[in-house]
Amino acid sequence: MKSLIMVVFAGLIAFSFTTNLKDGGKPWPVPDAAKNKKNPVAKSAESVEAGKALWSKHCKACHGAKGLGDGSKAAQLETEPGNFTKADFQAQTDGAIFYKTSEGRDDMPSFKKKIADAEDIWNLVNYIRTLKK
Amino acid sequence: MKNFNNIRFSIFHRWGILMLLFAIAMPNLNAQDEASTTEVVKPKPVKNTFGSTWVMNNQTVMVPIKGTLQFDIQHCFGTTNNGSKDLFGLFAPSNIRLGLGYTLINNLTLGLGITKERMQMDLNAKYSILKQTAGSMPLSLTYFGNIVIDTRAASNFRYTAHRFSYFNQLLIARKITNNFSAQVAPSFSWFNNIEGYVDSKGDIQKKMNNGHLAVSLLGRYKISANSAILVGYDQPLTSHPTNNPHPNICFGIETTTSAHAFQVFVGNYYGIVPQSNNMFNKNDYREGNFLIGFNITRLWNY
Repeated sequence: MKSLIMVVFAGLIAFSFTTNLKDGGKPWPVPDAAKNKKNPVAKSAESVEAGKALWSKHCKACHGAKGLGDGSKAAQLETEPGNFTKADFQAQTDGAIFYKTSEGRDDMPSFKKKIADAEDIWNLVNYIRTLKK
Repeated sequence: MKNFNNIRFSIFHRWGILMLLFAIAMPNLNAQDEASTTEVVKPKPVKNTFGSTWVMNNQTVMVPIKGTLQFDIQHCFGTTNNGSKDLFGLFAPSNIRLGLGYTLINNLTLGLGITKERMQMDLNAKYSILKQTAGSMPLSLTYFGNIVIDTRAASNFRYTAHRFSYFNQLLIARKITNNFSAQVAPSFSWFNNIEGYVDSKGDIQKKMNNGHLAVSLLGRYKISANSAILVGYDQPLTSHPTNNPHPNICFGIETTTSAHAFQVFVGNYYGIVPQSNNMFNKNDYREGNFLIGFNITRLWNY
């Protein structure tokens, strides 16, 4: 009986990890101030174009060309890169996406130093919005 | 010293440089930064004029953002003249430079490196003086300079001062369109020690002047978001009594990622250290003395 409980318990743990990965990993809390931050850059063609260039250079290798989380490096990551085309990802505020891009977490690097101009990160946010399906 | 201004410069070269200068200086509204937006009141400097601080054998106007640590691995193989015998120079003796640079404050990078050829150790500095900005500044201007110490055994030198050489360069560039950038860079090299010879009267004469003027021309054309074609030409300007260096023609491809720049190229320069290239290049493009080289740059931001 004891062995059966252990097996079930181990199975549940393994399943919970699987579920977590499928759900895009552990929750990523964003401070309210960051979440409510307004995007100061209009979603113009120029902004989206600039964001696309930054995406290609900094994000594509992990997140994939279309944001599906299927980039060439994705398989080596311990953190699920997520699917940016899905409604649950796109339901986040611009401020939340800006915060996560700037700060990073685990495998996701912080870009606030690499992309030093905040306006460029907002351009990236504007491009990420175009990935929605 | 006397012959610094004795410039052996053909009409073709003069016109080529003049035309490139004209193209760089010409106002062009298309050269807006990738990141420009309609909401920004004050125009910001143009970004990404080049993909790296290097384009093949030369520096570019680019200075990494503050807090960036850059590691350079540079390689020049042997000339391709021997064909398959040494796999077009890939298995021939090669020249290598390993370098580190750190952007201490905005616009200023300090670095050091070591090169296999003559074990030259370089200390270098690069400062961005002007940045191309739409509507107010048509060009970017950067200074690059170094001090190089030949660290071979003391038996190679009569005085310690003979170990030293210096390089100063002004880099002038413009991002002409979103895809095309060009650069003109006059430079001055100085070697404290130059080889001599004894003439028929028994007097010691210098084979070359200590100082050397040159100009470098570079172009980069983006063929995709992260890849570009590179072309370059280096013209010696100073005429020396003997052993005049040959010009350098080079072309290559570049791929950049978030933290790397990769360049593979074919050219005549073997030296990697800029003053060695400008002053002592013996590879003549007219005789097909081309070699393969590559640069790998890794960036970390702190």
